[in-house]
Amino acid sequence: MRTCDAVSGTIAAALGAALIVASADLSPLPRQVYGAGTFPKVVGALLLLMGGLLVIKGLRQRQAWVRWSSKVAGRPFLLALAAVVTSVVVYVVLTPLVGFPLVAVTLLTLLFRAYHRRGWGRALLIAVVATTAVWMLFAQLLHVPLEPGLLEQVLY
Amino acid sequence: MNELMQAASMVLNGEVILVIIAASLFGLFMGAIPGLTATMATALLVPVTFFMEPLPAIAAIVSATAMAIVAGDIPGALLRMPGTPASAVYADEAYLMGKKGKLGLALGINVTCSMLGGIIGVAVLALFAPRIAEFALQFTSDEYFWLALLGLSCAILVAGGDPLKGAISMLIGLSLAMVGMDSVSGQVRFTMGSYDLLAGISLLPVLIGLFAITELLRSLPTVGQRSSRVETPMGKPLDGAASTIWRYKGGVARGGLLGTMIGALPGAGADIASWINYAISRKLSREPQKYGTGHPEGLVSASAANNAALSGAYIPALVFGIPGDTVTAIIIGVLTTKGITPGPDVFTEQGALVNAIFMVFVLANLLLLPLGLMAIKGAGRLLAVPTGVLYPLILMFCIVGAFSANNSMFDVWVMLGLGLVGVFLMENDFPLGPLILAFILGPIIESSFMRSILKSDGDLMAFVDRPIAMVLAGLAILTWTLIIANSIWKERKAGKSAKVEAEAS
Repeated sequence: MRTCDAVSGTIAAALGAALIVASADLSPLPRQVYGAGTFPKVVGALLLLMGGLLVIKGLRQRQAWVRWSSKVAGRPFLLALAAVVTSVVVYVVLTPLVGFPLVAVTLLTLLFRAYHRRGWGRALLIAVVATTAVWMLFAQLLHVPLEPGLLEQVLY
Repeated sequence: MNELMQAASMVLNGEVILVIIAASLFGLFMGAIPGLTATMATALLVPVTFFMEPLPAIAAIVSATAMAIVAGDIPGALLRMPGTPASAVYADEAYLMGKKGKLGLALGINVTCSMLGGIIGVAVLALFAPRIAEFALQFTSDEYFWLALLGLSCAILVAGGDPLKGAISMLIGLSLAMVGMDSVSGQVRFTMGSYDLLAGISLLPVLIGLFAITELLRSLPTVGQRSSRVETPMGKPLDGAASTIWRYKGGVARGGLLGTMIGALPGAGADIASWINYAISRKLSREPQKYGTGHPEGLVSASAANNAALSGAYIPALVFGIPGDTVTAIIIGVLTTKGITPGPDVFTEQGALVNAIFMVFVLANLLLLPLGLMAIKGAGRLLAVPTGVLYPLILMFCIVGAFSANNSMFDVWVMLGLGLVGVFLMENDFPLGPLILAFILGPIIESSFMRSILKSDGDLMAFVDRPIAMVLAGLAILTWTLIIANSIWKERKAGKSAKVEAEAS
């Protein structure tokens, strides 16, 4: 999705303004004018300036406010976006509750079914193999504390 | 000599060799599949390298990226679809050679010249890096401030596109780097009360978000659009490659040397090196009219250049701690988490490690030939890997990888957030390179600025009262002038073409 440069410029300028405001109460070093707030203020001011220039440029070139410029069509992109965002949200929310193996197998089965299109049985099988591989690599080899969750009794 | 022996014993150790081979195979796979880039391969490797010693960690990244750049040539020649952006410039040429029945020659040139270019790059690196480091030992925080600033400015200049957008991208990177506790005064900034942000935003989720999730979001919608059947009508790979390369040996040397130099410039990496070398070899060629019809000359020079650039990027990274491209930016991040701060001191204090890194480079580049040939033979099978299985798997890797940085779910949110920001930025032509460089260089710029200002008791003139600092400051100002001139020139050109369009309609 491509927005007019005026929109992205406004966002950049707003970020700059926010930086300046947020760094207002950072105190300088003792007996100095410079301190923790110096850099944020400089960066904020530059963002404000560059964002402003981009807004002017976008308005002068009369670009469309929003248009679809990507090579892929809108629908598959939005579906992919939804799939990725939902997967991450589900992972973050559910893993502490039911554990990594169950969440990973479920998510991967659904994603494989949706994108590989070879039936549920195949999707589940690949998901189990893939989850086991990720578990072996990260939990066993690299000692990342992935929650076994509900499968704790089964695994250990 | 003692140091060299020590270095050799560090490299010739079962674990390091195993890591090099495994990482090469991983890079081969990532590079050969269109849509997966060398940077993405590195971002996915980092969680694994967190648990390694410094040398194997670097070895893994070096070999994976070198192999990914070579493997990226394969789908370019077979499908006219470059596996990584670094192969894009000559994908057409190699494909057309294949149409003429010279596929073996095209791929043979790709693999062999990549190896030669890589070796030239390592030679330059090993020869010059220690000399520059000796010189850099005299640098103080003044010089480092200018050097880091110069690096960022160059990154904007070479990122191409609208410099205004490059600058904004850089400023966003600097803003992200400021979150957390300030390194000089210890004040807490922009955490919005979150404890997870006290130590700042970690590098790993930022990398995975920007380079893996962003790419995934752009590739996932295309699943199933590419035919998975690929014929590999290979007679003999390498068929006649040796004689062709010998004929264009000047091109290999030029590609290697120029590629290394371009790689050493901050922000310019393998893709820019291959573009420039292809263009130059066309300019200097005796038969430029043959370019674009399946002519091997440009292929020779550009294949050598993109691998040489990989080695070149390590010169500023190892000597100054200023990354030359995104991959070395990641390397600096990895080394820093291991307690090694790249810079001239590493050369004097850890000479053996530096030499071992050079040896790893040579090994990884020599491996390109056998593994590359293997990849060509197995290309059909490699390209038939169903992307519908691969992409969900990469997503799972991203999530677990981001989590593994601090074992915190917060980092998974950071990854997702930056992935979404990354897609928005890419769609709007904001380059991501300056963002990640600024994120890594931000703390260096700020802390060296503050240290200098404290030393000089608030006198800004102190930044330019040493000769080297003055030269660096001059270069930085020159770069800004170039950026501004460039953007005004582009604006004029855009204005003119808009006027022509308006008059025509």
